[in-house]
Amino acid sequence: MATRGPRLEFAVGAFLVLALGSLLVLAIASTNGEFGFSRDSYALDARFTQVGQLRPNAPVKIGGVTIGRVEKIDLDPVKFDSIVTLAIDSRFNEIPIDTSAGILTGGLLGESYVGLQPGGDMEVLAPGEEIAFTTPAVDLIQMVGKYMFSGGGDNPPPSSGETSSAPPATPAPEEGTTP
Amino acid sequence: MIDAANDAPAVRLSGVRLDRGPRTILSGIDLSVPRGSVTAVLGPSGCGKSTLLAALTGELAPAAGTVELFGRPVPQRTRELLEMRKSIGVLLQGNGLLTDLTSAENIALPLRTHTKLPREVIDRLVEMKLHAVGLRAAADLYPRELSGGMARRVALARAIALEPPLMLYDEPLTGLDPIAIGVIVNLISELNRNLGLTSIIVTHHVHETLPIVDRAIVFANGGIVFTGTPEQLQASDDPLLRQFLRGEPDGPIAFDSARRTEAA
Amino acid sequence: MAFAEAIRSVGRGGLFSLSVLRASKPTADFFAELTREIYKIGARSLPIIAVGGAFVGLSLTLLGFRALETYGAANQVSVLIGLGLYRELAPVLTALLFVGRAGSSIAAELGLMRATDQITALGLMAIDPVAKAVAPRFWAAVLTVPLLVAFFSTFAIAASWFQAVQVLGIDNGMFWQTMKDAVDFRDDFVPAFVKAAVFGGTAALVASYVGYHAEPTIEGTSVATTRAVVNASLLVLMFNFVLSAFLFR
Repeated sequence: MATRGPRLEFAVGAFLVLALGSLLVLAIASTNGEFGFSRDSYALDARFTQVGQLRPNAPVKIGGVTIGRVEKIDLDPVKFDSIVTLAIDSRFNEIPIDTSAGILTGGLLGESYVGLQPGGDMEVLAPGEEIAFTTPAVDLIQMVGKYMFSGGGDNPPPSSGETSSAPPATPAPEEGTTP
Repeated sequence: MIDAANDAPAVRLSGVRLDRGPRTILSGIDLSVPRGSVTAVLGPSGCGKSTLLAALTGELAPAAGTVELFGRPVPQRTRELLEMRKSIGVLLQGNGLLTDLTSAENIALPLRTHTKLPREVIDRLVEMKLHAVGLRAAADLYPRELSGGMARRVALARAIALEPPLMLYDEPLTGLDPIAIGVIVNLISELNRNLGLTSIIVTHHVHETLPIVDRAIVFANGGIVFTGTPEQLQASDDPLLRQFLRGEPDGPIAFDSARRTEAA
Repeated sequence: MAFAEAIRSVGRGGLFSLSVLRASKPTADFFAELTREIYKIGARSLPIIAVGGAFVGLSLTLLGFRALETYGAANQVSVLIGLGLYRELAPVLTALLFVGRAGSSIAAELGLMRATDQITALGLMAIDPVAKAVAPRFWAAVLTVPLLVAFFSTFAIAASWFQAVQVLGIDNGMFWQTMKDAVDFRDDFVPAFVKAAVFGGTAALVASYVGYHAEPTIEGTSVATTRAVVNASLLVLMFNFVLSAFLFR
């Protein structure tokens, strides 16, 4: 058992170096590399009637590129719609005020994320402001049911009490919820 | 470290009763060990010799009476107890040598922990201790590479590393061959004389130790049955002492013992 | 009264753990012991970790491939490996292997120290045996189990890559890209190592406690070793559940 002096120290040093090296390699090669050194971000709000599978820390994307994270999901106790707080990277501080937000899913079984579709207005959203145009999450089962039972009547009611039968967010902004 | 300059005897027990849990192991113990002497603590198995040692090292608090070392009572509070323990060298039956350290490193351990002496000084001191027990050649050997006698000597060297005024030996001759026994006995006596120690030897090996001790104390039946010189012990005609000295299988300590509770 | 006794055991274990933390002082001696222990429980556990990791990678990939094939999602198998490994398998399996190899040796060593009077001797030399013998082992475990998890994961992913890409014919680029997209650094990767540190510390404390308090006999040491492995394994699994609930909300 080499438990003395220089041989021991070499063995331990080699072990530590190899281990830290493999840690580094793993971090780079097998993870998404979002080390999240907190870049500056600012907050924007959006209200949805239905958030579906959206979770805190879900990405916020414009055109498929992540520009921020969902910070908090809360319920308004008076109006009963959900207030989602988005943490947007400060580099993207010129989002037009007529931008719309929708809750989308990445692929058939993927996780939910917030997709922003920028509008064309010259004015931009300031930190803390609310996105006016939102589209709620789609309940897939409900949609399938609707098409299968050809419209109306006996559809199982959605959880929020409002029929959200709109298809996934389209470019045209819709009056999803009243601010 | 204990101030060993006053006049008190090295060890004094007054009216001591020692209990382990609900059982009283020893009671009514009065004894005094003069400084500089070698005292043997003898007795049959289970008579409480190890319990006595535990009281001396502060491991066991007396249920009654006082235990004093060099005029001071054995402390119960941790910090003072730790301080006091630096003044007592103990040689345990199992040696207690740390398996991951060499002999030299084992001996250096108390020196490095309790003194601020520089490296070179400690190395010299370790060499001196090894030389005192005749094992300079074993400095870089690990305990598993040592024979029983050698390991015991290294443990002894470690116990005297800080030159404590009091040395306690717990069954130092157990498991050794006759020559090794002779070596250890000789060492105990020489170290006691050369370093001006007080030594207390707890042992079964009556005949091997009596030649070097100044006084012998015999424990039996929960108390002291004899205190005196080795000559007085050998001349005694107390039947229990005679049985013990002669190693007779039957006598006051019966061969066919009734439910006698074993003391520690 | 067995229940009251069990609670008292837990209490004693907790007090022991506190004394280990209190006794941890960064002296030169401590670092020397720490280095020695890292070698004994870390470096020497490497072979079993490496082999274990490789086989887990191979079998999980095979199993995952078969399962996902039916949904036409076979090229997502690396996602299964990545998430499965980091979230659960790497920390738990590494910890259990560690308990078996290093936990048992810690318990045996401390039991042996107890039986050969080493612990008593340290106390009589006014050296805190917990500081000398237990604390270095504890910190060595907290440090090395995460490192062992890194090794386990490396070997598992490498073996998985071999199985998936070389044997089962999944596209190399797909393998890595889908995994990288799915495994989040902060939510999946980092928690694995947090778990690992907790498991390492737990295993070391349990094994140390049992070994330190073993009966000073040969039988006592062997009983201690078995108890250490059983109790440490159970605690690792329990804490895994607690941590998973916390970390993967």
